[in-house]
Amino acid sequence: MDMIKLIDLTKVYKGLRAVDNINLKVREGVVFGFLGPNGAGKTTTIKMMAGVLAPTEGQIVINGMDLAREPSEVKQCVGFIPDRPFIYEKLSGLEFLHFIAGLYSLNNSPSLRRRISELLELFELSHWQEELVGSYSHGMKQRLVMCAALLHRPRVLIVDEPMVGLDPKGSRLVKDIFRDQARTGTTIFMSTHSLQVAEELCEEIAIIQEGKIIAVGTGDGLKRQAGVDGNLENIFLKLTEGKRIAHERPLSSD
Amino acid sequence: MKGLYLLIKPRFSGFRNQLVGSQNGKRKRVFLMSGLGLAFCGGMFTVSCRVLIYFQSAEMIGDVLARHLLSMIILTFFSLLVFSHIITALSNLYLSRDLELCHSAPVDVEELFISRAAFTVMDSSWMLIIFGLPVFMAYAYVYRPGPGFYFTVLHMNLAMVIIAAGIGILLTMVLVHVFPAQRTRDIIMLLTVLMMGALYLLFRFLRPERLVDPEAFFTVAQYLSALKAPQSSYLPTQWIMETIWGSLTGSKGGHLFEAALTWTTAAALVIINVWVARAVYFKGFSKSQEAKKRRVGGRRVLDLFAKYVTKPFREDLGAVISKDIRTFFRDNTQWSQLLLLVALVVVYIYNFTVLPLDKSPIRLDFLQNILAFLNMGLAGFVLAAVSARFVFTAISAEGEAYWIVRSSPLRLKRYLWGKYFSFLLPMLVLAEVLITLTNHLLGVSRFMMLLSSGTMFFMVFGIVALGIGYGALYPNFTSQNIAQVASGFGGVLFMIVSSLFIGMIIVLEAGPVYVVFISNVRGTPITAYQWILITLSFLAAFVINMMAIFWPMKMGLKALREYE
Repeated sequence: MDMIKLIDLTKVYKGLRAVDNINLKVREGVVFGFLGPNGAGKTTTIKMMAGVLAPTEGQIVINGMDLAREPSEVKQCVGFIPDRPFIYEKLSGLEFLHFIAGLYSLNNSPSLRRRISELLELFELSHWQEELVGSYSHGMKQRLVMCAALLHRPRVLIVDEPMVGLDPKGSRLVKDIFRDQARTGTTIFMSTHSLQVAEELCEEIAIIQEGKIIAVGTGDGLKRQAGVDGNLENIFLKLTEGKRIAHERPLSSD
Repeated sequence: MKGLYLLIKPRFSGFRNQLVGSQNGKRKRVFLMSGLGLAFCGGMFTVSCRVLIYFQSAEMIGDVLARHLLSMIILTFFSLLVFSHIITALSNLYLSRDLELCHSAPVDVEELFISRAAFTVMDSSWMLIIFGLPVFMAYAYVYRPGPGFYFTVLHMNLAMVIIAAGIGILLTMVLVHVFPAQRTRDIIMLLTVLMMGALYLLFRFLRPERLVDPEAFFTVAQYLSALKAPQSSYLPTQWIMETIWGSLTGSKGGHLFEAALTWTTAAALVIINVWVARAVYFKGFSKSQEAKKRRVGGRRVLDLFAKYVTKPFREDLGAVISKDIRTFFRDNTQWSQLLLLVALVVVYIYNFTVLPLDKSPIRLDFLQNILAFLNMGLAGFVLAAVSARFVFTAISAEGEAYWIVRSSPLRLKRYLWGKYFSFLLPMLVLAEVLITLTNHLLGVSRFMMLLSSGTMFFMVFGIVALGIGYGALYPNFTSQNIAQVASGFGGVLFMIVSSLFIGMIIVLEAGPVYVVFISNVRGTPITAYQWILITLSFLAAFVINMMAIFWPMKMGLKALREYE
């Protein structure tokens, strides 16, 4: 079953087509990587999928529901992790999670308290739960946002640059959690700059450049499309090089 | 000096880019704000001229009164300048986001301090100088001094700004040096708010209106000596006032000594500031970067309060309101402004206790009716001002965490109306307390009491909706200081629209009340035609009130949905 469908998705900002007629399908339980150079349109696409940004044209269907027609129902089954963890700094970590639970209409029951406690334990934030979020480091805030995104057991997880600000231990932890989530049927749509992370985690990958999808498929499928062997970095550079204008001269030549 | 130029340049480049590159909508905003500023200046000039001309009509004491007024104006400006410099110095010298970049660059700390002090002077002074200008021009219009007066006003005001900046910045550096780093901002904000509140109350309770009422004093001699009493010969404001007054009245010899004293003080303060900055500025900046407050006290009280307040709401709205309550009471810069609000209300009510109603030549019940209407307008304006600070900013208060609300299943319509209802009850209580207490002090009739309370009750629904609606139409999720959002374009527009709304409701009610009053006085019955007019007036007031509730909420919702 296709859990996510992007149909002719377009976003125009003041004449600039940041996302240009994207069509994508993501199956249930798949970790889907969304790659592209800076300014390619990854974050814009992700924000539209999370319901934070309205598309100029096109349709987003998640779990069989149209985001434009049934926004609340779609958001109820989605967890969103943005690239920059802006959260309410005057709340403690625990209060923040209770606030998120309220937004998703979860009753303040013993099972919710158990779930919060499990997640805090999982993301190694238990000792900090009573501290104000304002005193957290970037990585801790990122982990708290991940706790919040998983709190309501979403069927789809939309993640923008998950490893930014995480130390190697935190990064490993997040990768393990994403794998576990996918195993239990959660679909993960993840944008990343890190080709290594994409190679390690993603079963399918799409590459976006200047707002257009230029390649989609599994690792092997992309190798065939690019006509190169080797790792994802070679494939990525080969697929995107036609448009590259920078670094035509080696940086070291100065 | 090259470093200083480079440090100051980005501010001017940013300002120029904003002007040159601004879009049509932004330009319109600039024009509207400039128009409002000019209208305000014109109003200040007219009022000042009228007051001074009125003083001139009083023989013997006219000049004494004008001199005393000038002295009070300069003292007020000076105090406001010092407070304003304390607040902006804190943000420019210690909290700005670009400071890390500047401190890591190979520039001298002295140059960095001077550039930031210059920003502080620019940010704090322009408004007061612009608003002060019409007052000084009014003095020039009435007294017709020579061209030297304009030069004196210019350089004395410049000296006043430098002295106020010197005191404000020095005080900020000392406070940051003394208090624990993570509390500095909170403590300074709290101190400033407390001092402003105290100053405001003190000024009001001194009853400056008695200066124009010689009857309040036993003898003319006592009155004159009260007016002539100098503040203190050690205060720079006294030197500035003497110099400007001397130039205004063309007194021989001028006041060179006072002018020299003022400029020497200004120069000395600049040098002292640079010395102190060399010793403590970087240490203070380093302290202000240390970890923020980690734990909070009074959690149980807040939990209980939030639980009680959110009881009527479902989980999703309850979560938003509970979060708002916690954020508000944990942010000292937010709740401390409640103290200013209390000062505003106390002074408003106090004004009614000192109204000399018995001395008026107008028939008492007629005067009471007029004042009750005026009171509705003023109380409505107080509520609009309070709403501008707390209700209008309610949406922007989400800050950069707004994505959480936007990506959650909570519908924006529900979110907006939830915010509306959470502010409605406290605003209703404030409105009713204000109007019933002041009407009681005025001694109005039972009919007017009921009409005023009823009108205020329904107007609050409109004022709060205008606040939330305009707040959603003009949100600012990136502002570092939520109090500044209220004084932006959207906040000013909200104040204008809500004042118009209050004015329209009062005008629509005034006609019917006048008809009823006259018919009571004359003992004649109200005609059928008058009944039709009365009904139409109240119907129009009802329609306008409904429009004020639903129209801004609808527009706000649309704007939030399209927000990018």
